[in-house]
Amino acid sequence: MTGRGHETLEHTADMGLRGWGGSPAEAFEETALAMFELMVDRHGMAAEIDHRLSIGGRDLTGLLIEFLNELLSFADIEDTAFVSVRIERLEGGGEDWELDAVIGGIPRGKCRKRLLSEVKAATWYGASVGRDSDGRWVAGCVVDL
Amino acid sequence: MKVEVEKIGEFLWEIPRSGRMLVPGRIYADDDSMSFLLKESATKQWDALAQVRNVACLPGIVGASMAMADIHPGYGFPIGGVGAFDPGEGVVSIAGVGFDINCGVRSMVVDVTKERIELNRERVAEELFNSVPAGIGSTGTFRLSVREIDRVLVEGASFALERGYGVEEDLEYVEEGGTVAGADPSAVSPRAKERQLKQVGTLGSGNHYLEVQYVEEIFDEEAASAFGLLPGGIVVSIHTGSRALGHQIGTDYQRVMREASAKYGIPVTESELMAAPINSPEGKRYIAAVRAGINCAFANRQAISGLVRDTLKRLFHLDDRQIRTLYEVGHNNLKLETHDTAQGRRNLLVHRKGATRAFAAGREEVPLRYREVGQPVLVGGTMGTSSFILVGTELGMSETFGSAVHGAGRMKSRKQALREYRGEDVIRNLAESGIIVRTRSRKGAAEEAPGAYKDVERVVAIMEGAGVSRRVARLRPMICVKG
Repeated sequence: MTGRGHETLEHTADMGLRGWGGSPAEAFEETALAMFELMVDRHGMAAEIDHRLSIGGRDLTGLLIEFLNELLSFADIEDTAFVSVRIERLEGGGEDWELDAVIGGIPRGKCRKRLLSEVKAATWYGASVGRDSDGRWVAGCVVDL
Repeated sequence: MKVEVEKIGEFLWEIPRSGRMLVPGRIYADDDSMSFLLKESATKQWDALAQVRNVACLPGIVGASMAMADIHPGYGFPIGGVGAFDPGEGVVSIAGVGFDINCGVRSMVVDVTKERIELNRERVAEELFNSVPAGIGSTGTFRLSVREIDRVLVEGASFALERGYGVEEDLEYVEEGGTVAGADPSAVSPRAKERQLKQVGTLGSGNHYLEVQYVEEIFDEEAASAFGLLPGGIVVSIHTGSRALGHQIGTDYQRVMREASAKYGIPVTESELMAAPINSPEGKRYIAAVRAGINCAFANRQAISGLVRDTLKRLFHLDDRQIRTLYEVGHNNLKLETHDTAQGRRNLLVHRKGATRAFAAGREEVPLRYREVGQPVLVGGTMGTSSFILVGTELGMSETFGSAVHGAGRMKSRKQALREYRGEDVIRNLAESGIIVRTRSRKGAAEEAPGAYKDVERVVAIMEGAGVSRRVARLRPMICVKG
């Protein structure tokens, strides 16, 4: 694995996501991008609207699941396809973790032909956030398609 | 981790109790299917057999942790999974219901000849495609206020009926009459309701579909006659669920269940198998929310069936009596049911995740018209292969808490399907074999290629061979509309 990146993992019915980077924030961003790419062909698309969101969780893995699910709900309510993500703050300890993020989106009505799949939810199945043997932060979980 | 299995019947395998398992695991499979599952178990990261074993560790599980013949890996529970829990000592689990609460199938028998459909095939496909909202982000013809969405969650199919979708008789042939009691809208978050405001009456995407099918073969004359099925007859089937409302209920309660698992000391063998005692405030609230989701799915299918009904009436100059709901049954569900067990007659909370209720003759839940033959079981195939109508059996009541398969079951991952198939080819090949596909997503067509699924003929033959359900009719697709 290079410095930062993401991939999807084979799952018979659903899909595994994995994102990695030099910090938890980077790993979260990459995991979110893996999820966005299931939902929209974002290649070459620039965000038209930025949305800000703040999320809390009781541990890092919980924060990841909350974050991904917040993105899914938000995309649905705003009728938006998300194409970019920037985590501005991710911090915490013990049972209190928080992040602030800026998510870039395009109204679905403007990119309907590039919409790919509906992701129902991020699950705790296979969910983890931690460092690998090279010291990189790796995050991931299975999403329900 | 490798899972040990023992063959205990021609089509039945057992994972013997060991470690933290409270009951054995039971899987319906033939030799080849089990070889495939064992190979997957040994080589793949996500393992359906391990999921059967993990469910067997949940407190209060009764009898066995089971998987029907369409078993494949899910999250927590396997798809095809059935788990019944004692309401006093048992737990309720999100993974046993899933995020598409009460996803299911409605089938309608239409009094129009196969020849008339064939002659107008393109037009019928186009009209159905245009009249039923489908695809990502599609919105329904309903425009609801938050107050009205609360009515949907309590009234279910009746709400859609009152709005002019379908006919009163439909409800006799929907599980629970289309309205399950005990739904509590206050247990459903404002966000879940907000997401659903525009989604009632939408098909969705992925494996959801609307199909026009014909009866290719009848296996059980008596049951087919009771169900109103004739050779060559036309059936329209709708596969969809509770849409975003169900997704958000599952999402919201993951948080609740995770905390409840810790609070009540429930051993969590796998992180998505978080659960709460059925009798705890958290468990009761989740069940009340799931029931609201169940009603939402009932309303959704009623609305879509109304759109289909109106379209077919217009196209073929039919009246309402010529379109009859055969049955509607969910396959991501949670139901309080009475079953005869080794400990006598008991109330049990039955989770069915990608499994269909399949009650035998005589059960009061079966509509009067079918009560002497048993409940219709609607098994969705693929775009290119058959669907089946089965019927529940007495042996099924005692062995599987009256459960059967819900579909063919995926065999290949979506990634593998995308590597092997192109959507354009799938659609063209189906057209050459006489099946018209209308979809907004060519990628979706590739992911849902018939070759990505198990052989449905074999799947239903396993269940029949095991004696837990019986084939009544095979349906062949003619038109398939997808999101």
